[in-house]
Amino acid sequence: MAIQAAPEDVQVATKPLLQVQGLTMSYGFGDSENKILNDLNLDVNDGEFVSIVGPSGVGKTTLLRCLSGLIQPRSGTVSVGGEVINGPHRDLAVVFQDYSRSLMPWMTTLENVAFPLQGRGVGKKERNETAEKNLAAVGLAGQGHKYPWEMSGGMQQRVAIARALAYNAKVLLMDEPFASVDAQTRFDLEDLVIDLQATLGVTIILVTHDIDEALYLADKVIVLAEKPATVVDVIETGFGDHRDQVETKADPRFADARARILHRLRDH
Amino acid sequence: MTDTALRSAPKPGTGTRARRPEAERVRSRPAQVALNVLQRAWLIVVVFAIWWIASADSTNVFIPSLESILTSLGRDLFNGVIAEGAAYSLGNLAAGLLIAVAVGIIGGLILGETKRLREIVDPVIHFFRSVPQAALVPLIIGAFGIGQGPKIYTIAFACMWPVLLNTIDGVLGVEPTIRKFSRVYRIPRGLHFRKVVLPAALPQIVAGVRVALPIGITVMVVSELFAANKGLGFYILNSSATFMVPETWAGALLVGVIGYILSLLFVVLERRILSWYFKSGAK
Repeated sequence: MAIQAAPEDVQVATKPLLQVQGLTMSYGFGDSENKILNDLNLDVNDGEFVSIVGPSGVGKTTLLRCLSGLIQPRSGTVSVGGEVINGPHRDLAVVFQDYSRSLMPWMTTLENVAFPLQGRGVGKKERNETAEKNLAAVGLAGQGHKYPWEMSGGMQQRVAIARALAYNAKVLLMDEPFASVDAQTRFDLEDLVIDLQATLGVTIILVTHDIDEALYLADKVIVLAEKPATVVDVIETGFGDHRDQVETKADPRFADARARILHRLRDH
Repeated sequence: MTDTALRSAPKPGTGTRARRPEAERVRSRPAQVALNVLQRAWLIVVVFAIWWIASADSTNVFIPSLESILTSLGRDLFNGVIAEGAAYSLGNLAAGLLIAVAVGIIGGLILGETKRLREIVDPVIHFFRSVPQAALVPLIIGAFGIGQGPKIYTIAFACMWPVLLNTIDGVLGVEPTIRKFSRVYRIPRGLHFRKVVLPAALPQIVAGVRVALPIGITVMVVSELFAANKGLGFYILNSSATFMVPETWAGALLVGVIGYILSLLFVVLERRILSWYFKSGAK
């Protein structure tokens, strides 16, 4: 028995944490059917930071909605930890693009972060402690009493990230999370996410239309193109754990990868 | 349903924004309060002064002098005749409104969240909403009898519609991203209703209650014009039937004053329960 169990264990350990197989999605039926995603396959390993990059309108948001369980694909599967999902899943948390709309203005920041834990039946004291801890992790220690609308855009997105972290999911899905903040705030938030990923070991899938952002953040960049969208390239960035807004972006490998993605997108 | 909802819902910013320059002006607080009171009160004072002077020598039986009206009012307030009636009426109003708010909010939340049910019930709602509420008073009292209960039901029935419609509208207006959040983070249904949908719809709900308040006062008075032996409506009807015209005026005046005070109290309540809404809208 023990001999039989061993290879199985190895297999489980090497299996990707999140797996997309043959994912196809369309809106409408018959003549008006509009195919968005065509036979997509993705593997995301535990602890990996994956960016999905592609031009606007290629179907990135649709893909993310499939991954988060908000919509059911026409065919194909999304599985987390080997389990095929058929709706929102305990191990998937989402940071939405529009922070100002995803936080609830009638709750304080702390309450916003603690709320999903309440939904899971965590006691008040414990969930407030967890919320406080995660607010501190995103650089908002002691700001829990404030309301979201008393904060800047960058701070609100930090709260949204803290909320996703507090939920303690295995995979964090981020939908263009820095699209609506100014450039400097964007750099700060990018570095925050890199730090958080390094310290917490959470797996992140980030969708963006910004090639530089995709490369700077990720271990692996998945390039989507064509209509309906399909994976046209997968690039391992190989920058390691240490990244710097100036150095990393000046790295020749960065320029090469950037050129490769641009070529890919232009060719399709 | 959306376009028939009552238009009085406070939109973010309006109202608060209009008041902002005033709040920002630097003035000592007591002076500010005094100024505000003066600003609101002067016209009322002028109107009453003109009324007092113009009606002072009135010989028309149906238009008594304001002096005699106020004398009757003061007398009947102190000897308890009108005070007792007012207590009875306001008790009915409070009970009716409470039922209306409870049924309106619960019904509105359910209908707002379930599209199918809403589509089925929609025509019925609009039919009942279109019936003049005062016209239902004799029917309801005829059907349910003369006691206090039917009066409360009538008020509740009339006040329920604006609350119900505004609640539905508020639920439909919940930010889609917040709904997505609630689904992705698997917020259980009960918690989703209490902590997400209800607060999000609350500004609209409160606006509905504000519309319901004067309707309730009207129906309260009308309900006491049929088969009643106490209450403000009965006081007005009874004094009018016995040619005690100053008393009739006194009763009508008192209803107006009560309505005004209730709407002021409502504003205070609104500011309290929606403080996040007004503060965030002001930004």
